[in-house]
Amino acid sequence: MPDALIARSALRPHVAPPSTPAGDVGATLREVEGLTLASVAALGGREAELAEAVRAAYGLDLPTAPKRIASGAAAFIWAGPGKWLASSTAPNADFTGLPAAVADQSDGRAVLRLSGPRAREILATLTAIDLHPRAFAPGDAAMTHAASIAIHLWQVDEAPTYEFAAFRSYAATLWRWIVHAGATRGLDARLG
Amino acid sequence: MRIACPHCGPRGVDEFSYLGDATVTRPTDPADLDGFAAYVHERRNPAGRHRELWQHALGCQSWLVVTRDTRTHAIEAVEAARDVALARAGGES
Repeated sequence: MPDALIARSALRPHVAPPSTPAGDVGATLREVEGLTLASVAALGGREAELAEAVRAAYGLDLPTAPKRIASGAAAFIWAGPGKWLASSTAPNADFTGLPAAVADQSDGRAVLRLSGPRAREILATLTAIDLHPRAFAPGDAAMTHAASIAIHLWQVDEAPTYEFAAFRSYAATLWRWIVHAGATRGLDARLG
Repeated sequence: MRIACPHCGPRGVDEFSYLGDATVTRPTDPADLDGFAAYVHERRNPAGRHRELWQHALGCQSWLVVTRDTRTHAIEAVEAARDVALARAGGES
């Protein structure tokens, strides 16, 4: 019998080299592994039904603006009008029961977490959106690009901690761009 | 040039793809060959106010109708193309 298909990291040390700061740690870069991810798109005219199902199953109100909402293991991140990225840290999480077009993305996207006092400065060298706390705060999300790589970005806390999902085949390039941006800013980057 | 996406807020033009003239409409009669020839090939090239289709390709993927002055790049309005199409169809969804 064949092995079950298991989502596997897109990153390996030879394509995503570590970075060790010479002095104080300004920020840490890690991969967020073990997530179940799914793209969720409302079916035409059935947005309210989907919102009700998400409320019933997860106790969350689907955002209609670029926001991330989370409760327990599950989170929904706005991904455009009528579209969301669903994520869960729970083992065996399954979003396919929602009344929507749901496609698994668990091994289609890589999620990176950049956190620390200089995380904003590092990310700002790669992306053009305004990350100032007045413009972008915990719970805010954006779809944009970092060094021309499409990213789905959200802020988690005021450390600040950012997480961003990129298409799996771009994950290593994005990782190396962040390592370059963090080279003079005390970046501690390593896998696992 | 910056385009204020109605969903995402103002973003650099590098996030958008130009997708053509928003003023042309597809003929409803499939036998209207002259109409189709005009729809596919004929474009005005105004120096001034113009309505264009853009897609927020490196963002929320939405199609937008941008009203722009081609001489100054000043943007007068950005609307979701879906809303424009629905308004044109008389509000039927």
